[in-house]
Amino acid sequence: MRHIRGKKEWITCPECRSTCRDRPLSPDQELRCGRCGVSVKRYPDPRSLQRAWALSVAGLILLVLANVQPVLIFDVSGNTQANFVVSGVFNLFSQGYTVVALLVFFCAIAAPAIHLAAACYVLSACCLGQRLPYLTKALRIVERLEQWNLVPVYAVATLVAVVKLDMLGKVEWQLGAIWLVALALCSFLTTRALDVQLVEDRLERLSP
Amino acid sequence: MTNFRDLRWQTSAALVVAGLILYVPANILPVMTMTVTGDVEPLTILGGVQELYDSGLWPIAGVVFIASIVVPFFKLACLSWLLLMHGSPALRRERTVMRRIVHTIGSWSMIDVFLLAILTAVGQLGILASVRAEAGGLFFVAVLLCTLFASEVYESRMIWHEQDPSAA
Repeated sequence: MRHIRGKKEWITCPECRSTCRDRPLSPDQELRCGRCGVSVKRYPDPRSLQRAWALSVAGLILLVLANVQPVLIFDVSGNTQANFVVSGVFNLFSQGYTVVALLVFFCAIAAPAIHLAAACYVLSACCLGQRLPYLTKALRIVERLEQWNLVPVYAVATLVAVVKLDMLGKVEWQLGAIWLVALALCSFLTTRALDVQLVEDRLERLSP
Repeated sequence: MTNFRDLRWQTSAALVVAGLILYVPANILPVMTMTVTGDVEPLTILGGVQELYDSGLWPIAGVVFIASIVVPFFKLACLSWLLLMHGSPALRRERTVMRRIVHTIGSWSMIDVFLLAILTAVGQLGILASVRAEAGGLFFVAVLLCTLFASEVYESRMIWHEQDPSAA
């Protein structure tokens, strides 16, 4: 959020909503809020948006792969059971734990998908200089869903589950596990690289 | 004087109190029952950690212990502190940092819910190995949602909000 007051430019701190005076930064500097100390502005590296764009596209592809292929195969004395990301949702649902099933579905599948898709949409508009409809809405979605994209947590939970299952039977890793880890990395790095302030500036310049 | 900010404080406080109450059954009731070659074994969250620790995997036991027992309690304690300090001018910077920490680490408690989902999905081999979700999981999810929404409702700017002297 940036507004002109007099001749100087001011930025609103995203945390405490105080106003900070904007000034140009060199590559290793960042602007911190004078009141609460949160980083208000990073050096606007134009390449960071391209990086974030590439990462979000990769993330979307990996999301499809991670959900289509089984993550692991569990084997107890000859009886095998393949496990997908969605199977947990289905089984919780069939056991009557609808709320838990919905939460798992939202945090592990729906939120990452929407988050990455919205990020990809906004970033492609920024990088290609194209004006697309609902860009600011998409950016708000990215900001809101960032904390609900829990694929990294899911990846760690898978590791813990494998340790537990190893006591009961044989566990075989499948390709889906690699896609899952890669997806966790991609979504983490996308949120790191996506500079909301910079995107907002770009979007403002796009509008007539 | 019930303005917008007071309502937010009240909502957040209500969620924290609900979370504190639900924290008790979430830790006492079993989260899942594991049936392994005929032996039925109900597991609470702490029981699951104990089992991991006993098998010699203490780093993983530590991760689960911190993520599913320490973090929810730490969140509830911090949020209560933040809400009680509301309106006071002391330690504002520290409180802002604290709120950010609570907000970021909060989602890691989901590890236990995901674990439950993965184990119930895999444990479908009948008498050989089966895993059923139990009521404790519901309470755990409820605590989680309470803390997540409480920290979302109580925004940082409310820490810095100056009390209007004319309203007093």
